[in-house]
Amino acid sequence: MEDQVPEEENRRLIGDLNMMIPVRCFTCGNVIGDKYSKFMEAVNKGIDPKEALDELGLNRYCCRRMILSHVNIIDQFILYEMVRLKDAQDI
Amino acid sequence: MRKISSKLIMKDERQITMLVKGVPVTIMNSVRRAAISLVPTIAIDKVYVFENTSVMNDQMLAHRLGLIPLNTPKNKYKTKEEHDCEGECPECTVYLYLKAEAMDDHVIVKSGDITSDDPDVYPIYSDIEIVRLAPGQKIELTMSARMGRGWEHAKWSPVTVAVVRGEPKVRIFHNKCDLCGECVKVCPKNILKIREDKLIVTDIYKCTTCMLCVDSCPKEAIKVDIDENNSLIYMESVGSLKAEDILVSAFDEIIRKMKEFTKAVKGE
Repeated sequence: MEDQVPEEENRRLIGDLNMMIPVRCFTCGNVIGDKYSKFMEAVNKGIDPKEALDELGLNRYCCRRMILSHVNIIDQFILYEMVRLKDAQDI
Repeated sequence: MRKISSKLIMKDERQITMLVKGVPVTIMNSVRRAAISLVPTIAIDKVYVFENTSVMNDQMLAHRLGLIPLNTPKNKYKTKEEHDCEGECPECTVYLYLKAEAMDDHVIVKSGDITSDDPDVYPIYSDIEIVRLAPGQKIELTMSARMGRGWEHAKWSPVTVAVVRGEPKVRIFHNKCDLCGECVKVCPKNILKIREDKLIVTDIYKCTTCMLCVDSCPKEAIKVDIDENNSLIYMESVGSLKAEDILVSAFDEIIRKMKEFTKAVKGE
């Protein structure tokens, strides 16, 4: 796969801050879909994650764990799609 | 009959806390339940997919769209029960559109990209990420949003958290208290303070009645009780309605149900 996806493309995908996170908190229903990239931006700036979460107004631990424990998978799906598109172009 | 009095403790766009004296927790709980499941709001219900070449499948996309809170105009749209229609009519439904295509670069489709037929119905948060498109991918959707209630699906519920609890009562026996400060240290909400050689409670409504101060006191000079005859109601809005409007409409919904009940009793 490494040969097929350009290296810079790969790096950009992994380093990107925008990820697909569930729209609502599973437990309380609070909207978190717009807060992940803001959280990552703040953390990358060097702000303490605890303070960043407080700043975003996530007071309950159910909403906090949504952000802290999120694992992104859409990038992996997109990688496969990129390979498929590239194959189609080659043919 | 007991006298009923209400006091507003805290209010902003998203949250409201009220103390209702004279109404027991068991009665006030029905207001909480009405707020969760009976107050109508508007949400995306059906999604017509014309094109979707993204990596996210149609069902997942529709699910994410349904959870986006939309601004609900007051008394503009009717719920299913209020009128007869075969599903979609202008009285209960608004159409929204979403069209996005990634050309050379990745595109993140956000809730702000959704356009609406009605300028009053729009996504409240414009930065919610819906899907990510790789170059060459495309989505084209038409969505129908309608009025609904929380008991149908949680996406129509206007509140995230709605809590009713008894009024906390902290009693301090100043003759026993020797101002050792153990309770001040142990209180998780930091509401106990020593001021002018006296132990005082600063904000009683923040007390969660955890009893840590009672356990820590070596002189048994502090007592915490919950008065369930007065209720403390806290609500947090998702955003589609103001917190105060939710509380008012919750009462309205209960009154509506009561009227239906009275009619049924009279045999009308």
